[in-house]
Amino acid sequence: MDMDIRAFADRVLEAAKCAGIDPAQVSASSSATFTAKVREGKLESYDVGDALTVTLRGKAAGRIGTASTQALDEESVALLVRGVRESAELIETDEQDEILPPDAAYGEVVNYSEELERVTAQEKIARAMEIDRRLTGTGDARLKPDESVLVTQRETYMLRNSLGLDLSHRSNLVYGYTAALAQEDGDSATGFKLRWGYGMDDVPAEEVARGCVEDALANLHAGRLKSGEYKVVIKHSALADLLTTFSGIFSADNAQKGLSLLAGREGEAIAGACVTIVDDPLMPWGMASCPFDREGAATYTKNVIEGGVLRTLLHNRKTAKKAGVQTTGNAAGGGRVAPSNLYVKPGEGTVEDLLAEMGDGLYLTEVSGLHAGANPVSGDFSLLSRGFEVKGGKIARAVEQFTVAGNFYRLLADIERVGGDLTFDASPIGAPSVRVKALSVAGE
Amino acid sequence: MIDRHLCERVLARALKSGGTFAEIFYEDTTSFNMLLRSGKIEQAAVARPRGAGVRVYDGLRSIYVYTCDVTERGLLLAADSAAAAVTDTRGSGRDVSLRERATPDRHPVAIPVLDVAALERADLLRAADSAARAVSPAIAQVTAALTAREQHVTIANSEGLYTGDRRVYTRMVCSAVASSGAENQTGTEAPGALMGYELFRERVNPERVGREAARSAATMLTAPYCSAGEMPVVIAGGFGGVIFHEACGHSLEATSVEPGMSEFSGKLGQQIAAPCVTAIDDGTMPNEWGSENIDDEGTPTTRLVLIERGILKNYMVDRLNGLKMGMAPTGSARRESYAYAPTSRMRNTFIAPGEDDEEEIFRTMGDGLYAAKMGGGSVNPATGEFNFAVDEGYLVRDGKIASPVRGASLIGKGGEILRRIDRVGRNMTMGQGMCGSRSGSVPTNVGQPTIRVSRLTVGGK
Repeated sequence: MDMDIRAFADRVLEAAKCAGIDPAQVSASSSATFTAKVREGKLESYDVGDALTVTLRGKAAGRIGTASTQALDEESVALLVRGVRESAELIETDEQDEILPPDAAYGEVVNYSEELERVTAQEKIARAMEIDRRLTGTGDARLKPDESVLVTQRETYMLRNSLGLDLSHRSNLVYGYTAALAQEDGDSATGFKLRWGYGMDDVPAEEVARGCVEDALANLHAGRLKSGEYKVVIKHSALADLLTTFSGIFSADNAQKGLSLLAGREGEAIAGACVTIVDDPLMPWGMASCPFDREGAATYTKNVIEGGVLRTLLHNRKTAKKAGVQTTGNAAGGGRVAPSNLYVKPGEGTVEDLLAEMGDGLYLTEVSGLHAGANPVSGDFSLLSRGFEVKGGKIARAVEQFTVAGNFYRLLADIERVGGDLTFDASPIGAPSVRVKALSVAGE
Repeated sequence: MIDRHLCERVLARALKSGGTFAEIFYEDTTSFNMLLRSGKIEQAAVARPRGAGVRVYDGLRSIYVYTCDVTERGLLLAADSAAAAVTDTRGSGRDVSLRERATPDRHPVAIPVLDVAALERADLLRAADSAARAVSPAIAQVTAALTAREQHVTIANSEGLYTGDRRVYTRMVCSAVASSGAENQTGTEAPGALMGYELFRERVNPERVGREAARSAATMLTAPYCSAGEMPVVIAGGFGGVIFHEACGHSLEATSVEPGMSEFSGKLGQQIAAPCVTAIDDGTMPNEWGSENIDDEGTPTTRLVLIERGILKNYMVDRLNGLKMGMAPTGSARRESYAYAPTSRMRNTFIAPGEDDEEEIFRTMGDGLYAAKMGGGSVNPATGEFNFAVDEGYLVRDGKIASPVRGASLIGKGGEILRRIDRVGRNMTMGQGMCGSRSGSVPTNVGQPTIRVSRLTVGGK
């Protein structure tokens, strides 16, 4: 398939040239996915598939147009060329110079496992069955197991243009998860556990099943929490969810368009002094690692926030030119800017240490409904949450059915302590657990 | 549509090693997206997703193989790959013969969007943009987008079905940002329908869309935060219907009900809501955003009463879950694209008009919250725990709408909120959304008249 895509890209670039589209750039993203779902000892579904998207961008009559297709045929070549010309006629934004020759040098990073590609479908199904067996095998009558799922993905991204750029990068990964419902005395709670990596050893069946059971049972018989201001320790996964939702505030594109409040604030302290946030596209085995961005610019590692001070926003070539700086290699395609592997640099100490230092307060373990209850433009959030009430530095009881409200800009400034448990939970955005000064809780 | 005899060959190949049922879903889609920001057209692109999925039932197990290679070779390879995963080899090597079934088109399209001159399409966005900016000097940014999609599907299965559908979607999304420099607030309007460009002649005025988004953002910029607590809540019609969609709708999909992962599993015929609540899921409403002629398994779409006067009447059922549950499919099987196996999903889901007077609903509520505009939400169907954002809220004092508040959210459990609905108004309106679940993101309408919930937890600070 990869050879077919290369030949097709050549064909498209040639057709673009004949049509006066110059310069022109073809990107092709192809992926293969495998999913096995097991329930009650039986394989419930088995899904495999290949997807491909080929996009042509190019300059016609002074503007850059875009068109894409999923079919590698002559009809598509014509559609791409026509689509780019029509699109270029409509586009009104200027400074469109993102089609350029290659940079002098690119870093190297691996996030592709040859060994994972050799794992058979039977072995993947067997692992999902094993997770289900371990989950059912607890014999705990309060538990109703949901699906156990094993997924593998392989992706190849290729970028070629008429100015000699010729780049490609491939990555793969495996993840496994399971969920369960715990019920007792009319109360119910769900548990979930996921593990991921680049080999089957990264998805240990016993650990996934046990993690899920512990999660479900820990949240059973959760109480309510009284409304008010609480000191809060935020679990690494909940902080990573918040950081993911609000990562757009670091985009120079958003800042220049009035969609982020960080415009022009480079050099200012915007977070607690213990907070350093890193964008690391060259992280070994990082989920979003890639030596080049969607404009073909070389990527590199940088601190976005260092010791609480905003060092840089994330740029593509267009936003960098406007701001009078160099691109940071964060072009995400379509003129947008996005982080690669983004994380809060870990400090020291376990969650237990953070709770002990806090004394009384809330240990916030889960926030949900982020697509609705969090506004990336204003920074406001008000989110259904789960967690534990903490008394005298120790977990006292599980609590649910309350919301935690605040503003992300304020939250960054209120971080007083960063733990050492940096975790990437099936996402290129990761965080350690942190303690924050205060958040508003709405409960009873 | 792809050739009938090709479908026969692919289906026969999919069943060569056994299996009780095989289906092919082919789609050829053209989509157009255009986005205006800072007063300039920033994106305009045509895309053409095309591909097919072959599904085989191996007993009650689903095997699904999808590909974007829709040549005969590619489709037969997908069928081979599915057949290779079949374990129950009884009845292998069946022939399949297909007969075309035509479906009447309930959703006629007058003007395909791509037939309209490009500059006229761009003018729509400019109209929304200038109307929004005229609302208040605080409006700092406006993003207006036009999305259009024309999906052609062919569906054939080993029971002889060979049919197709065309779905034409047109939608405008306008988001305005009001800014004080130190703070931002947003307002969004996103009307759409299962129709062509006539949407903007018959139903949607782009200036009104821009103005409404800007009005909401500007109102929220000066509003204080909502205070938290338990209180009575009145929820406006239109997109307010998202509350039923999340709090109850997802838990009535066979996907959750069949494995017993819904709080409403096994409760058909039981009282699950207050007697003033009747709820309907209707895929037949002409040209509505969540409508279709047939579902993504080829079953004609239906109008389904979910809850009648508080009694649970029906679940939304796809073919495979129907076999497991011993129930007939309800034309509710949907998927985002060929890259997803279909499953039971909502279409146009709403609380039916009731008998209560809107003025009385407010007058008798005392102190509480009026949720004039809802944002999105989510639900855990197993426990019923839901959460919603209130995009535009107002404090109600002594039965009167008093002042705007920002940052409110509503949380609770689905079963509880359905019982606590104590007023249902007379005038049902709907709003458009994209609903994400295990078969991807599909267009759905939510709707309701103004309703009142006697007590809800309101999050704020």
